[in-house]
Amino acid sequence: MIELKSVTKRFGDETAVDAISLTVERGELCALVGTSGCGKSTTLRMINRLIEHDGGEIHIEGRPIREFDGRLLRRRIGYAIQSTGLFPHWTVARNIGLVPGLLKWPAARVAERVEELMVMLGLPVEAFADKYPAQLSGGQAQRVGVARALAADPDILLMDEPFGALDPITRQGLQAELRDLQARLQKTIVFVTHDMDEALALADRLVVMNAGRIVQQGGPLELLRAPADDFVASLLGGDDRGLKAAAITRVGERMLPLATRPVPSARVPREATLHQALAVMFREHVERLAVMDGDERPVGEISLRRIVGAGREGGGEP
Amino acid sequence: MSRSAFKRWRAPLAWCALLLVLATGGEWFESLLRWSDPEARRVLYPQADLLTLLLRHLWVVAIASGLAVVLGVGAAILVTRPGGRDFLPLVAQAASMGQTFPPVAVLALAVPVLGFGTWPIIVALLLYGLLPIVRNTLAGLEGLDPGVEEAARGMGMGAAQRLWRVELPLAAPVILAGIRTSVTVNIATAALGATVGASNLGAPIIAGIINGNTAYILQGAVLIGLLALTVDSLFARLNWRG
Repeated sequence: MIELKSVTKRFGDETAVDAISLTVERGELCALVGTSGCGKSTTLRMINRLIEHDGGEIHIEGRPIREFDGRLLRRRIGYAIQSTGLFPHWTVARNIGLVPGLLKWPAARVAERVEELMVMLGLPVEAFADKYPAQLSGGQAQRVGVARALAADPDILLMDEPFGALDPITRQGLQAELRDLQARLQKTIVFVTHDMDEALALADRLVVMNAGRIVQQGGPLELLRAPADDFVASLLGGDDRGLKAAAITRVGERMLPLATRPVPSARVPREATLHQALAVMFREHVERLAVMDGDERPVGEISLRRIVGAGREGGGEP
Repeated sequence: MSRSAFKRWRAPLAWCALLLVLATGGEWFESLLRWSDPEARRVLYPQADLLTLLLRHLWVVAIASGLAVVLGVGAAILVTRPGGRDFLPLVAQAASMGQTFPPVAVLALAVPVLGFGTWPIIVALLLYGLLPIVRNTLAGLEGLDPGVEEAARGMGMGAAQRLWRVELPLAAPVILAGIRTSVTVNIATAALGATVGASNLGAPIIAGIINGNTAYILQGAVLIGLLALTVDSLFARLNWRG
């Protein structure tokens, strides 16, 4: 668990972070979002003491971070950045094994852990272990960066726009993998991004920052439904907010028991988003879809009214 | 030695072989020199044999360059640390001044203090050779990818670990290029030492100028040239990976 209690950072006369308080629960993925220069990266880098905070207190697992030696603290916290920062003169395997090496793990254990991580992140050991960072694509380099951050199995992971420099397809692929990884590993993750769709897709909780202060925090749907002010609303996409909410709500959460006979011919998987269901309706020119489970069996149905929320309160389906 | 390794070291080996053949050639080299200056009474420098002069020449350059590397790289590292940043402009300027100060003037000033012989030329070469080393070390250390520095700190590496395992290995090619320039230039400049009594490959050149003996000048110049080529081609093949 990470707790920030009225944490402040000043650079000269300028206040970069202004008395923010924030709690990130264990196993939670918390996204810090906001425009450039809003203080989100500064906040992230104060947690592992790359930047020292001027005021307030930061606690990790109940202990103030100033009690720890900065280097030892950072070895216990995973860190991944947009430019990857891989060492160009080290092979992929050596880069990943950096922190275990600093922690003086025996060489055999480091090698074993490096292989495990390369498999976990979809980097075949044979093909990649001896490559140098210059030989990798952007997406591969970022996988190595994430593997390096996870190498010593830290409880906390700090990620500073890790997918910001990638093309949209690679970015979405890595976002999906991070989601799967997080479902399995349950790390406490603080994730900085200015890409709202990325934050909405990944985060359990969004923290919107502006000019060094927290403007609003809450779950993705919570923010989309009730943005605190115009700034949050415009950051969340203005009128696109409805579609963005549809893009992070699963069909399974809205479907009703199968009632229509015969079963609608157009179908959508239970795991699809409302956004995808809408797209199917547009394509098939229908207002009602059958919802399928993983074995292609119909388990429910969903209507356009239900998607747009008209029947949300009761079971008021006609 | 494998075939590819031989190919790699072919150029420095060839220059070195030619250098040694001429330095130890004796009568054979003498007949070659006779052709350049048929009038001269003697054509081979008589005071010391060429191999001895070559080794002394090399020795002076090695000491001066070794000191210049230790001082130059060391100073550049110190002024790029957080505690030494304030001295960066000072060190950069001092190194530039060392280069603009003519070695001959350094010799003239050093003789009254250090006496005749080898020491004045070592001081002159040291000052003259500092600039390329300091300048390139600064460029190499300042030119590192900020992302790499950020990651190295973020992973929990200490200052010394970052310096030895990340910064110096990554800056090594640029630093090495500076050392290469410095050493090569100093091999040529070391000949000036003969004017203040240092016995090296400059001695035949100075003697040749005084006595109007082209053969003396030629043998000193050719051997210095070959020595510089040997060392320079050796540097060209050095390649450090951390």
